Amino acid sequence: MLCMLLKNTENNMNKKIINPEDATNIVKNSIVKRRSKDSRLKLFGRVAIGLAVCFLLFLFYSIFTKGYPGFFQYYVTLDINFDRERIDPKGDLSDNSLFDGDASAIVNESLFFIIEPKGRKEKKLAKKIVSSGKDVRIAKMVKDDPGLFGTVTKVKFALDDDIDSFLRGYIKRETPESERRISDKVIGFIDKLNEEGRISYEFSDYILSGSASGNPEMAGIKGAFIGSILTLSVCLLIAFPLGVATAVYLEEIAKKNRITEIIEVNINNLAAVPSVVFGIMGLAIFISIFGMPRSIPLVGGMVLALMTLPTIIISSRAAIRAVPPSVRDAAYGIGASKLQVIFHHVIPLAMPGMLTGTIIGMAQALGETAPLLMIGMVAFIVDIPNSVVDPGTVLPVQIFMWADFAERMFIQKTSAAIIVLLGFLIAMNALAVYLRKKLERRW
Amino acid sequence: MFSFYLLTVILIISLLFFLLGYNRAKNLINSNKKNLHSLTHYYGIFCSLSALLPTLGVFFIFTICDDFIFAELIKEYIPDEVINSKDYNFTIVLAQINNSVEGLVFGTPPQWVTNAAEIWKSWVIKSNILTVIVCAITILTSGFLSYKKINSEFRSRNAVEKIVMTILAVSSVIAILTTIAIIFSVVFESIRFFALIPYDEFLFGTVWNPQFEGAERAGSGQEGLSQYGAIPLFAGTFLISIIALCVSVPIGLFSAIYLSEYASSKERAFFKPLLEVLAGIPTVVYGFFAALTVAPFLRSSGSMLGLDIASESALAAGLVMGIMIIPFISSLSDDVINAVPQSLRDAGYGLGSTKNETVMKIVLPAALPGVVASIILAVSRAVGETMIVVMAAGLAANLTANPLEAVTTVTSQIVTILVGDQEFESAKTLSAFALALTLIIITLGMNFYALHVVKKYREQYE
Amino acid sequence: MNSKKNDLKSLELTVGDVFSKNARLKARNVNVFYGENKAIDNVTIDIGSREVISFIGPSGCGKSTFLRCFNRMNDTIDSCVIQGEITIDEENIYDKKIDVVPLRARIGMVFQKPNPFPKSIYDNVAYGPRIHGLSENKEHLDNIVEESLKRAGLWQEVSDRLSSPGTGLSGGQQQRLCIARAIAVSPEVILMDEPCSALDPIATAKIEELIHELGNEYSIVIVTHSMQQAARVSKRTAYFHLGKLIEVGKTKEIFTRPKHNQTEAYISGKIG
Repeated sequence: MLCMLLKNTENNMNKKIINPEDATNIVKNSIVKRRSKDSRLKLFGRVAIGLAVCFLLFLFYSIFTKGYPGFFQYYVTLDINFDRERIDPKGDLSDNSLFDGDASAIVNESLFFIIEPKGRKEKKLAKKIVSSGKDVRIAKMVKDDPGLFGTVTKVKFALDDDIDSFLRGYIKRETPESERRISDKVIGFIDKLNEEGRISYEFSDYILSGSASGNPEMAGIKGAFIGSILTLSVCLLIAFPLGVATAVYLEEIAKKNRITEIIEVNINNLAAVPSVVFGIMGLAIFISIFGMPRSIPLVGGMVLALMTLPTIIISSRAAIRAVPPSVRDAAYGIGASKLQVIFHHVIPLAMPGMLTGTIIGMAQALGETAPLLMIGMVAFIVDIPNSVVDPGTVLPVQIFMWADFAERMFIQKTSAAIIVLLGFLIAMNALAVYLRKKLERRW
Repeated sequence: MFSFYLLTVILIISLLFFLLGYNRAKNLINSNKKNLHSLTHYYGIFCSLSALLPTLGVFFIFTICDDFIFAELIKEYIPDEVINSKDYNFTIVLAQINNSVEGLVFGTPPQWVTNAAEIWKSWVIKSNILTVIVCAITILTSGFLSYKKINSEFRSRNAVEKIVMTILAVSSVIAILTTIAIIFSVVFESIRFFALIPYDEFLFGTVWNPQFEGAERAGSGQEGLSQYGAIPLFAGTFLISIIALCVSVPIGLFSAIYLSEYASSKERAFFKPLLEVLAGIPTVVYGFFAALTVAPFLRSSGSMLGLDIASESALAAGLVMGIMIIPFISSLSDDVINAVPQSLRDAGYGLGSTKNETVMKIVLPAALPGVVASIILAVSRAVGETMIVVMAAGLAANLTANPLEAVTTVTSQIVTILVGDQEFESAKTLSAFALALTLIIITLGMNFYALHVVKKYREQYE
Repeated sequence: MNSKKNDLKSLELTVGDVFSKNARLKARNVNVFYGENKAIDNVTIDIGSREVISFIGPSGCGKSTFLRCFNRMNDTIDSCVIQGEITIDEENIYDKKIDVVPLRARIGMVFQKPNPFPKSIYDNVAYGPRIHGLSENKEHLDNIVEESLKRAGLWQEVSDRLSSPGTGLSGGQQQRLCIARAIAVSPEVILMDEPCSALDPIATAKIEELIHELGNEYSIVIVTHSMQQAARVSKRTAYFHLGKLIEVGKTKEIFTRPKHNQTEAYISGKIG
């Protein structure tokens, strides 16, 4: 087609530029092809975004479907005879006395009464049905309400994680007994409990209020959660004032010279340093040289503070720069000193931007794992930390540890912990977006 | 707890100095019947700051230094036969004594440990008393000196501003201090490592098999098993980064092109933050996702095709990492594509280009340096990423280009070596610092280059 | 019939001769809205074949907006709505069937600020023929580039450095490069949006001379601030005020004997 057109206009070749009519024809003839190329690129773009969004949705879907059941677990209801003599032999409700007491035996007796195990072997199997936290649960109940003594009350106990997995269908009845984690006998016991209507599937009271535990049915995230809050508090208390002070100094006070240039290059580089390196620094400086203890939120918070500092500094500087010079001129014009201009005008006006940056930095810190592994927050700690110098762990590290455990139930608990973590991250980011929308001023 | 109480007391005293200074200024105004240079509260702040700051300095020096001094002094009290014994390790001995001091006793410690602990305890009490005395002297003298300075001529606001300016300047130095701390913590240990293992073996050796020296010393023919050739780690890192790029570059780039050139402003406002959510998800979540969802899926679909995919494979880790770095590429590329001036697009459209032609032949070539920089930044992010590879890539130091096998990376080795208990003297522990040093050099180099390119690119259009 | 009536209606507003005997572009009752604001109010005008017409008027009068309607450059602005009819060879360019790409190839455009691509001089000029497939082979493309540069009066200055970047030229040369780039796709009409406003007087003189020459082969619509420029380069002149076309006529007559008192006020410097 093109050749034909060109031949038709042989004389135009001499003029070198094709005449407009022919050009129009040529363009019209090729336009379909070019348009289809155009829509192909658009399609590629759509597909790419679609893929990315699909990944995101699939990630959330897979975490959510795995984690949602993690908030629930199976309980068995037993009639407990609250015999004071046996539960609280000294009669003063002290920890010692309750520890000496024999609450587990009472629970077991109540259980045996229903499922009637025969012989020592069966009894031993039957005892394992109820989670080992039963005596602690009874101790807590009588402490909260001593009036229970002398009564017979229905109490719910968590079932062992293998039984839980069986009831959820992860352990199949059809599997040969030798390949199953629970024996036919135990399945018989469970069937009996089911017939009596004593087994229920309920919101787990361990997941949110329990702490790290080797028994998956009793494991919870409270300890890690408190640890996260303590660590983040330390991080915030260090990083926010330091970040804002640095930003103010660099933007408002410092003259542009070699030193400030070095500081700026430094800040940009710090933002690029892999987080695990900050952990190494924490290990070598805070723990080895300063001799601080391992695994404590104080050190974790300090490391995270240094890590989030660049984020806060960079966003604070942007916020300060957005304050128009006219405001400063106006304040200088009525005789304010430099610091008065900064503290009375610039900082209050830049505060929303600074806060947004800080929240985003804190969200980063909340999800960070690697540097905290380095400084030993990966230890197995059952006690819930009370202060920043008590050993503790944080949510993401807890997730990392649980993800390594073999028990089936930990997968659900891990996913549940991830849901809680993501929930907090989303809340923090939403707060940042809200602050930006609500408080940001356009000049 | 002692430090906490002391700090509280120091703070309260400095508050008292605020009131003293404030009142003195008030009295001066009343007696002289004339205004002072500065507002009255500046006098209070001046007093309290000049009392507080030196005291805090003294306090921190004392609290940080005492443990070091005690550790040196306690050497006197360790029996000679312990020091001369073969497996003497001062760090461990110190930990024993410290445990004893804190009342954590495991089994029955030797008598000399208990004695040393008693001595240590007495030192702690003495040093606490000393700290209190020195702090008290500092806070009172500096407080009263500043109080005396207040007279009708004194310009307290200027003094306060000078102090505050200094505080601001000092805090901006923290960034430099952090960098120095990072370099310091890594370089020194690395030097010690390279004293044990020649650097060419580290950089060019092809077998990575670190063992604790203890195991070597235990005999049983294990000597010489340790090998510190980092090539398999670099190769693993490289392999995973390549896989990640194969996922993220096409998706990120096409997304950026679509968002900046084709999407309506509504679509853009919706999808851009949505993509950035991918960057906000904690890496431990990605690691969990890779290890428990992606890897089993790959394994089962691989076995359907007759492929044998390891349960911890470079592919799983790389794919998930690719998803993670999509927003780094899309957001940055989107920014640089938007920075291409509208006049160039107008010129293209004015000549009758389709969108495709405008983007591919005008906008992208103009934005290319920035796009390349965004990819480099994404690579440096991938190289430094830790949790995904720790959880999904495995620990086997295979030197392989097969993405279906398990590989290990620089970061995952650092974590494996340094998590848990370490002997600080062993080559294995030190090797982690050498790895960290190479990691820093690589990522900083890439970052530096990328920022340089972006800066040049910006200048071109300003 | 209906359109005739509309024509008459707009004639009541516009003084002078809006129609042309051999019209290439015909605009009929064109209205342009930016959201709620009416930027162009019921404008009717013909652009003759091989004539240079200039649009003048105070800033903000809508002359650039109207110019951009002719090759649908306003399409890129979401909030912009255009009513009325603009035809080229009896085809409405705002018809749904019309593809904007061939249209823009027929109606080229030169912008206010010179905007060469960050490529070589050669590639700048060759860009259009390449995307439209106007050249048969490399030799033909070379010829097109050379001829276009010659017509734009740039050949002598750049023939020895075709591969150096177009952004390295001076402002006036860049603008002539942009004109050469527009010529290379063989347009019928060239729209120029204040092509000299970013240039110094010497460069401006060169461009004006060029426009004058090009007027023998192309229809040229030029938007300008400067009345002297309009007087120098164009045969016809249209005066816009607040989105309305006030007066159209022979350039000489507009500047010497304006019929409308607003035109007179502008010419004599009372509005501006």
